[in-house]
Amino acid sequence: MSQVPADLPEAAVRRFADGAFTSGLTVPDFAACLQLGLEPVGFVQGFCVMQWQFYRMGAGMGMGMGGYGSQYVDTGGYSENYQCPHGMVSAEHRYWGQNYEQTWVEDAWAEGFTSAYSRMVEEAAEAGAHGVVGVVDTSYPLADMGVLEFKVQGTAVRVTDGEPPHGGQPWTTYLAGQRLAKLVEAGYAPVSIAASAASVRVWANCVTENLTEGSNSMYGMATPGSEIDQTVKAHTAVRRLARRRVRDQLEHDSLHGATLVTTTRELGQGDAELQCVLRGNRVRRFKEFDPVPPPVPTVRLL
Amino acid sequence: MTAFLPAHDGLPTPEPVDLKAEMLRATRALAQPPAARAARMTSDLSIDEELVLHSIGWEPVELVGGMSTHSIPYGVWNWGQGEIAWASQAYTRSFARATERIHAECTKAGAHGVVGVHVEWEVHRHHIDVTLVGTAVRAVGGNGLSADPVFVSDLSGRDFALLHRAGWTPLGLAAGASFVYAPRRSVGTAMKQKGQNVELTNFTEAMYASREAAMERMQSAALGLEGTGVVEVKVTEGPMDFAHHAVGFTAYGTVVRLVAGEHRHVGARMILPLDDPVRAFDVTSLRGTGPG
Repeated sequence: MSQVPADLPEAAVRRFADGAFTSGLTVPDFAACLQLGLEPVGFVQGFCVMQWQFYRMGAGMGMGMGGYGSQYVDTGGYSENYQCPHGMVSAEHRYWGQNYEQTWVEDAWAEGFTSAYSRMVEEAAEAGAHGVVGVVDTSYPLADMGVLEFKVQGTAVRVTDGEPPHGGQPWTTYLAGQRLAKLVEAGYAPVSIAASAASVRVWANCVTENLTEGSNSMYGMATPGSEIDQTVKAHTAVRRLARRRVRDQLEHDSLHGATLVTTTRELGQGDAELQCVLRGNRVRRFKEFDPVPPPVPTVRLL
Repeated sequence: MTAFLPAHDGLPTPEPVDLKAEMLRATRALAQPPAARAARMTSDLSIDEELVLHSIGWEPVELVGGMSTHSIPYGVWNWGQGEIAWASQAYTRSFARATERIHAECTKAGAHGVVGVHVEWEVHRHHIDVTLVGTAVRAVGGNGLSADPVFVSDLSGRDFALLHRAGWTPLGLAAGASFVYAPRRSVGTAMKQKGQNVELTNFTEAMYASREAAMERMQSAALGLEGTGVVEVKVTEGPMDFAHHAVGFTAYGTVVRLVAGEHRHVGARMILPLDDPVRAFDVTSLRGTGPG
């Protein structure tokens, strides 16, 4: 068992010392976990409440203000510049545009998620668990005041006759019950949940603005009906960044049962903010795949 | 629904697995670092889909995607007659470019095709966006080199396996869309129909016109892929949120072709589940209305 972490509430230590276990598992999942030799130890949770300021000072300052001031933002991440093809034509003309990675948004997301996750794992380790199954994570705004709450929860379990987890760190997975049993039978060991967020801001140049707003450019170069290159590149980049970040967490393991969700906040005049969250189960192959016989198709008579 | 049937049905019975021992083995493996030579896979398939893919000799390789957005010029949604060609073309082109991109990612990953593609599309007043995300798959042990062209399909892993067993193969996604004006009624017609429950033939005709054009385009795309049919066709129809006098019809599905000599009968077995849901508590019995 690990040492009592400094920030674990004192009440939690007392609670885990009690005899009764708690669990967030459904009854079928509970039964299936027992068949796998997983004994529930406790329902564990981690929280982190983050102030959520999307725009750091300086980012994008000067955009949309005509042909003055500086322009391109260097965030240290993905960035692409889009120069106006028309030359300087008026103060209202968007003579440059940029796609850039909002690293501060990604860092804030990662900090909120990782803090909540490690607090949950900390509770599980304190309870003497070997792993956490049936993990559910959520993030939602609190009371419309620029605050985001990250919550990660699951059921801490102990493996019957199992050894303490490597490095004192319990393994974690979104799966539980029968799905976890099938995963193990297929030769995968659950390592941890893996998640990442990527954020890309689109500051539209004149061409992107004209195409997105359907306006006819008196200066040309924005062929009606054509593909909006800057927006496509931003979408491609935000997904690529989220995938790359999760791949970096995997080392030589695999990602199973992933979900990839992209949200777009259109801000008018072709501007947009894109966010992509990818999450899934990091799994490690512990035996060669044992092919199952071809399943028998059945028709249910109801 | 798939299941193993007992041996007395003449089918092989899988060896019983000691799940506790497997779980112990799995957790012990975590003490070791992952093998450096292990092939890293990313997938959004469920474990059931992965198992069923393996049962036909296929495996997931990589999560892949493609996106495209095409512009619609100003003013095309205003009142008019006939098809709104700009919008129909924007849908078709966006779908085609998104497909090309997911295709390219699949090829780069060394896979033979993409299954379980989630198709997301949105029609805005001035642009249409199409996004495709799915898992690239290949024959177990394959290296991406295949004489067969790479396919993109929205069929689930289960449906892909079933199609495979029946001797068919997916060839790609086919899509078609058409956006049509519902022409204004003449003043005389509007006056005559006022206060009556009558068919608005201008809308009905517009719906039919958009449907026929969209379905024809999807079928032409299927023929272009040398397919014999389209399965799992999804359609939407109705007026546009931002232009109620214009109706749109969209359709897409997976193009398939028979590759076996003839269709193989899958021979599904009928089962009678005995796990009917438990009847909910009947509150009327509290009033003593039940028998006895």
